[in-house]
Amino acid sequence: MHSKNSTVSIKSYLDLSQLLSEYRGSHEDNRAFALKHKKLEKAPTKLLLKWLDKNYFRIDGELNSKKYLDYLLSISSLLGLIFFILGFIVGLGLLSYDGKLPVNVIYYLFIAMFIPLFSMSLSAISIFSSDRVSHLIALLFPLHWIEKVLNYLPFRKKLKGFKVNLSFKLSKLLFIERLQLFSLIFSIGLLLSLLIMVIATDIAFGWSTTLQVSPEAFHRVIKYISIFWDKIIPSAIPSLDLVEMSHYFRLGEKLDISMVHNADKLGAWWKFLAMTTLIYAITFRFLFWIFTKEYLKKQLEESILSLKGVDKILREFKTPYISTQAPQKEKHLEIVEAKKEVVIKKREAKYQTILGWNFSKDEILLANDAKGIDGAENIWAVGGSNSFNKDLEIVKNSSGVVLLYVKSWEPPTMDFIDILEMLIENSKVTRVEIYPLGTIGRYYKNEQEHIDIWRRKIESVDSQKVWIVNHDR
Amino acid sequence: MIDRKNSYPKFAVVGHPNKGKSSIVSALAHDDSVQIGNTPGTTQVKRGFPLKVDGKIIYELFDTPGFQRARRILAWLEEHKPTSANKRADTIREFIYNFRDDERFRDEIELLEPIMNGAGIIYVVDASKPYGAEYEIEMEILRWTGQPSMAILNLIGDEDYREDWSRALGQYFRLVRTFNPLKAKFKNHIELLESIAQLKEDWTEQIKNAIEILKKFHNQKIDRTVEIIKDTTIKSLSYVYRHKIKSKTATKEEYRLASKHYRGELVKYERKLERDISEIWKHKNIERVDIPPLIDDVGLFSKESESIFGLSQKELILTGASAGAISGAGIDLAFSGGTFFLGTVIGSIVGGVSAMVGFDNLYNIKLLGKKIGKRELIVGPMKSANFPYVLLGRALYYASTLANRSHAIRDSLKLDDREFFIEKIIDNNMRKKLEKVHSKLREQKEPKEELLEEYREVILESFKKLI
Repeated sequence: MHSKNSTVSIKSYLDLSQLLSEYRGSHEDNRAFALKHKKLEKAPTKLLLKWLDKNYFRIDGELNSKKYLDYLLSISSLLGLIFFILGFIVGLGLLSYDGKLPVNVIYYLFIAMFIPLFSMSLSAISIFSSDRVSHLIALLFPLHWIEKVLNYLPFRKKLKGFKVNLSFKLSKLLFIERLQLFSLIFSIGLLLSLLIMVIATDIAFGWSTTLQVSPEAFHRVIKYISIFWDKIIPSAIPSLDLVEMSHYFRLGEKLDISMVHNADKLGAWWKFLAMTTLIYAITFRFLFWIFTKEYLKKQLEESILSLKGVDKILREFKTPYISTQAPQKEKHLEIVEAKKEVVIKKREAKYQTILGWNFSKDEILLANDAKGIDGAENIWAVGGSNSFNKDLEIVKNSSGVVLLYVKSWEPPTMDFIDILEMLIENSKVTRVEIYPLGTIGRYYKNEQEHIDIWRRKIESVDSQKVWIVNHDR
Repeated sequence: MIDRKNSYPKFAVVGHPNKGKSSIVSALAHDDSVQIGNTPGTTQVKRGFPLKVDGKIIYELFDTPGFQRARRILAWLEEHKPTSANKRADTIREFIYNFRDDERFRDEIELLEPIMNGAGIIYVVDASKPYGAEYEIEMEILRWTGQPSMAILNLIGDEDYREDWSRALGQYFRLVRTFNPLKAKFKNHIELLESIAQLKEDWTEQIKNAIEILKKFHNQKIDRTVEIIKDTTIKSLSYVYRHKIKSKTATKEEYRLASKHYRGELVKYERKLERDISEIWKHKNIERVDIPPLIDDVGLFSKESESIFGLSQKELILTGASAGAISGAGIDLAFSGGTFFLGTVIGSIVGGVSAMVGFDNLYNIKLLGKKIGKRELIVGPMKSANFPYVLLGRALYYASTLANRSHAIRDSLKLDDREFFIEKIIDNNMRKKLEKVHSKLREQKEPKEELLEEYREVILESFKKLI
């Protein structure tokens, strides 16, 4: 059972992508769905998520999102641990005090402030720059390389069998978002190591630089750095005295005598360093992480609309379903071919009765003349405007071999078949030859297609008395 | 009388057997599943074809069996002739009631029932054959129903007897129109509906509404076709196939396999396009398509490439230089800038050069049993300047053939795009616009939205010229 999707997430994005690769619904179904959720007409993303919820059951097998998110969780847990340990170790390394030279706060500031700001700036540039630039920037982050290598580890096997269908932009944002998280964990490790070191050891902090920086100037820099907490925790801002006191030069590993005398005061830097870590490496990073998370969500909302197949579904949601077709399938007519050959090429020389189905008497005479048929004893028009009873009378009076003219282009109706069957039943009639004629415009020449229609119908009558003449003269 | 429960116009297409009733319904309903045969009695029961919009029926067409025993029915009607003409429809109802279970009149009852339920009459005759008095019996029966009616002259054969027919039909029907379902295009369909709208005042608005809907429907089909042609062309033109190769240069066999795969994929795209277009234009039952295979004689573009961790040599040099620069910067920092940033410069040079020189060695390095490098033969994107036009031309030719094809045609679709010249429909100005996108795709660059929109417009314009 899956949970309902109310907002776009990596999970809903991947699930929709998987569903769309297997099922996209028909226009009729999609439009009916949209009409049922008319309130969401102007919120395509929400409507799409509802559609996903409705069609979850159609996804065959395990959800790709589950595999991917499990993989992401495994790799992120491992990386989170690595980054925390790394942060802690870096903290220990930076704060290791051998009792000879004080710990240089500039080094610490570099790690706890400069690098985080630099990496956040790079991340920000990467977010808003083109794919190519972002790709190059990504190469600068160790996380990129760690992940590359981790792809060779068994975790990757979890993703076997499907390709994560995330666009470059989404992959980039996901990478940047995770980068912020790991950096945050790293910084927490760093802060923790600072606190432990402060509690467990006595550290003498100092500052030293080759550049010609006076304590006043350095103090001004420190004041700027502390701008975010100078009102709240003023004690976390080193005084000018402390800055002056802790300035040292590495000359023969000997420290200034006043520095040695005030060694107990040099530890006061820790509050400043802790606040710098807390504000720049943790708070800023945390805020940036939230921003990237939100931005990723926004991008997911945009990207979900450009997933392959979504345009079709959205169009179908909006477009009235127009159908012009029959709801039921037609039962196809089965044509059974009979065995008896009813078509003859040669006609009789003389007929006792000549009938014309839907012909006038004049037309029959004209046809006789055209076909070289001598006048018979009885020539009658049947069908047409005759009444059925009149035709019955004609059939009764017919005898011998009967020639029955028909219009080849007019297929035999059941009315014709009724008359034909009565002719067959008439014992005085020995043979009926049906002669399909073409139009006068074609000099009575018939078409094979029409002969075939007549043949099929007459075959179905299944009588030894009836034949079709296909004789062109 | 219109059934108040279902107060939408209905029309029964009726006539003599084999006069093209089903073809007309098939063409008007855009449904190629209607069985059309040259055997009388192909249509055995009436079948409704409703025009529905979101489930709401706007009008409904009925395909019906042909008259079989018209003479006997008219004889019965005459026998039971009422004293006044306004009661004639009741006599027909009485006939239906009395003979509903009589097999002999099954076809007539099937065709009369929708008419007696309020359907207008569309009487179909084959005007390529001479007029015959026997038709008057059918027309007389239809007149008895009292329903609004019109006649359609369908020209099945080569001869033309429309004049004779019109004279006779004019005595029985309010309107007589020519409509050839096999040649009818959308425009003719609409014209026929406009005529139908005049049959009854109550129906005029509804039919006009239906015409608007059908026009919208037609435009939707055009838009979707153009969208599919655009997307498929872009996908095909930017398609790149990467084939893993063993050595630095591809063997003939590797090249053959890669080319085969590449061509195969493009053919697949084209087949998919054809299927989609057939679906859009509702030609689901087309038998087969004879179209020469795509890109048989178009040369393919290919090149070999190597990468490590998915990075090309160029990218790796850049990465090496960046990594070197970062390491150098660390040294500079350790010396508090005393090195005058030489560390950064030297680091970047060393990193870059190492990546350049060591690329081949890195390629063979194994990480956890897998080579970190990858050698590939890359086929595509298509560099031929003419290929996009071949592709577009074929797609437009196919789409326009289907769009212009009546649903009444049951012959298999025969296509030969060698006779189709896209140059005829694309002028220089259009070509320039298309070329802007084609050149971007050849360079594997993504065209901007505005360019793609312009591209779509050109395809739309060309397609409209063809339909």
